[in-house]
Amino acid sequence: MRHVILAALIFACSAFADNVFFHHHWTLWKDAEVLIWSADKNPAIDPKEFCLSLKRNNTGIGEPKCRLAGEWERDSIAMRYANWLVANMDGNVKAEHLRARHPAMVAKIQSVEDRLVLFIGEREGSIFAATFDENNVEPVAAGVFTGTKDKIALGDKIASAFFDGSAKRRLSKEERAKRLTEPDESYKEIPGFQGWASVAIGYSQAKIPLTPNNWYSSHINSRVRGYRITKDSVSLWNFIDDSDPQIAVYLGGTWYGFIGAELMYRYAYHEVKTDPQDTIYRELSYWGFHQHEVGLNVILSKTYTPIKWFKATPFAFIGFQYSFFVEDIGLKDNHKKPSKAYDVRIKFEDSYKGALVGFGSHFVFLNHYGLGLRAGISSRGRNIEEDPSPEAAAEPTTIGSSTIDCFVNLGLEYHFSM
Amino acid sequence: MVIRLHFAICIILMCILCGCSPSYQWHQSHPSYRKAPTDSIAVTGLDDAFVVTRSSWFAKRLEISKDSIQTFTSHFCAKTFLTELRKSYASVTVIPDAVINHFPEESQKLDTRIFMKGHLPEQGIVVKDSAGKAPAYILIIHEFILGTDLQRENFFDYALLHNEAPEKKTSKNLTAIVSYTLWDNEKQRPLYSAVNQFDQPNMNLSLSDIERIVSTAVKQITQNLTSGVQ
Repeated sequence: MRHVILAALIFACSAFADNVFFHHHWTLWKDAEVLIWSADKNPAIDPKEFCLSLKRNNTGIGEPKCRLAGEWERDSIAMRYANWLVANMDGNVKAEHLRARHPAMVAKIQSVEDRLVLFIGEREGSIFAATFDENNVEPVAAGVFTGTKDKIALGDKIASAFFDGSAKRRLSKEERAKRLTEPDESYKEIPGFQGWASVAIGYSQAKIPLTPNNWYSSHINSRVRGYRITKDSVSLWNFIDDSDPQIAVYLGGTWYGFIGAELMYRYAYHEVKTDPQDTIYRELSYWGFHQHEVGLNVILSKTYTPIKWFKATPFAFIGFQYSFFVEDIGLKDNHKKPSKAYDVRIKFEDSYKGALVGFGSHFVFLNHYGLGLRAGISSRGRNIEEDPSPEAAAEPTTIGSSTIDCFVNLGLEYHFSM
Repeated sequence: MVIRLHFAICIILMCILCGCSPSYQWHQSHPSYRKAPTDSIAVTGLDDAFVVTRSSWFAKRLEISKDSIQTFTSHFCAKTFLTELRKSYASVTVIPDAVINHFPEESQKLDTRIFMKGHLPEQGIVVKDSAGKAPAYILIIHEFILGTDLQRENFFDYALLHNEAPEKKTSKNLTAIVSYTLWDNEKQRPLYSAVNQFDQPNMNLSLSDIERIVSTAVKQITQNLTSGVQ
């Protein structure tokens, strides 16, 4: 019982205390014309004082002009709606429950243009306030305030509850007319062509996550003896380090936000995995391969715009690439003449041809500046430029004909549309 | 552990199945609907609400001429409706349709795709009965569709509205679909709006079958008005 009384007391107090029922986003115009609309003969706030309250509360609001909405107060439909609003506003209701239903009233609210309408009504000693803008047929903000004779104090309270936030410059007649012809942001068509350039850093390794180690262990653990000997030579990762950083450059574009293509260039440096116990390498200062790859990807993507200034474009890509491994080798200064094994050391193919497949996403801020994240698998195989000869079976196996790795890239992007 | 896993799988499957089939919400309560009418209520819409969808089928079964079947069933149903309503409320006032019909017709949203149309009094105008009194609650019957094997979504889901009716009409059940609003006359707001469907196995159609389905509808409506209180 005691709880019930306490709850009732709290409820009674809260019913009379200041309480904002809802406050949706609305455009606060600078130097606005504020219409104060009330069904009461003597409205609870004074237009002139309210203008001063607005200026005191929000310095960015400029020089507002406040007046009573005489035209609304002479309209019987608007007055009926005003009386209805006073009777129906309470903490339970949402904005949609306070919607104006009469077509004439709806038209009236929609013709507010860049004026601000503040509704004031009194019920049982409390002052109910609501604001309207041209885009909604229901109040955009509503609340209740403790009834007081002090019109200035009440004006201050209402101004701070509903009229905070940054004010926008009012548009000229021409600008408004132009804005009306502009397409709605929500229905904005995807540009015909969206291009991007990207510089990315990344990392690649032979082991593909979530696959068994024994698929790769023989390649990864392999060492090169005597400049050319390994257990097998099917993968280049038998000879050179597989896990290395890489840099990449992408230049691409999508048409109609759906299908696209991109050119790519990637660079990495891989050291040769010489066997440290092999004394023959004592003459060697360094030995590695510069990996250059150029390729072309086809992209399928879809763009989502959760916020006006942010776009996310997840995509999947598939493409082909040419890989070139440029050897970089040097002897120590005191070894002028290399060993015989050095002269007949392993040679890679001039180029490898492979495929790559993967997925990723562009995250674009303010239409231009983006971050790109992607991951994928790429392969390098034999680059067959002529038909295999009938003696193909007798030819030695191509070194590195199945060199597969996976990669992940993070890039800085610049996007542009045409 | 295994049982718990099976239980979880069952729950997930049920959720998927529920998610696949379209489910609608057929009623809407105003957040300030705190008290249902108990002893007195006004009702309106009874003059025009009743519609028979298969007039020739009904005319043949009831042995009434096809020209007068709409008028006849409309009067009969309205009378039954009132008789049944008087059993639930001590005082029932009838407000002629004309009082409400001059207000613009509006759509009320019950669910994403479910909209019911009807005339609602204007905001700020209190409706009065013929004696000049303003009843607190008005039950506005927008539509009372009587037919066989009807589905309410075909009438109220805007995505299905233009579907062609199947060629072969069946008559396993006598169906009544009612759309109505409980109107708060003091504050001029819809307190409870709903579309209800009633199916009754159809043996050999007689007037008592129609009487029975209208009575069921009224009983259910009065129950719904109570259960709709927030």
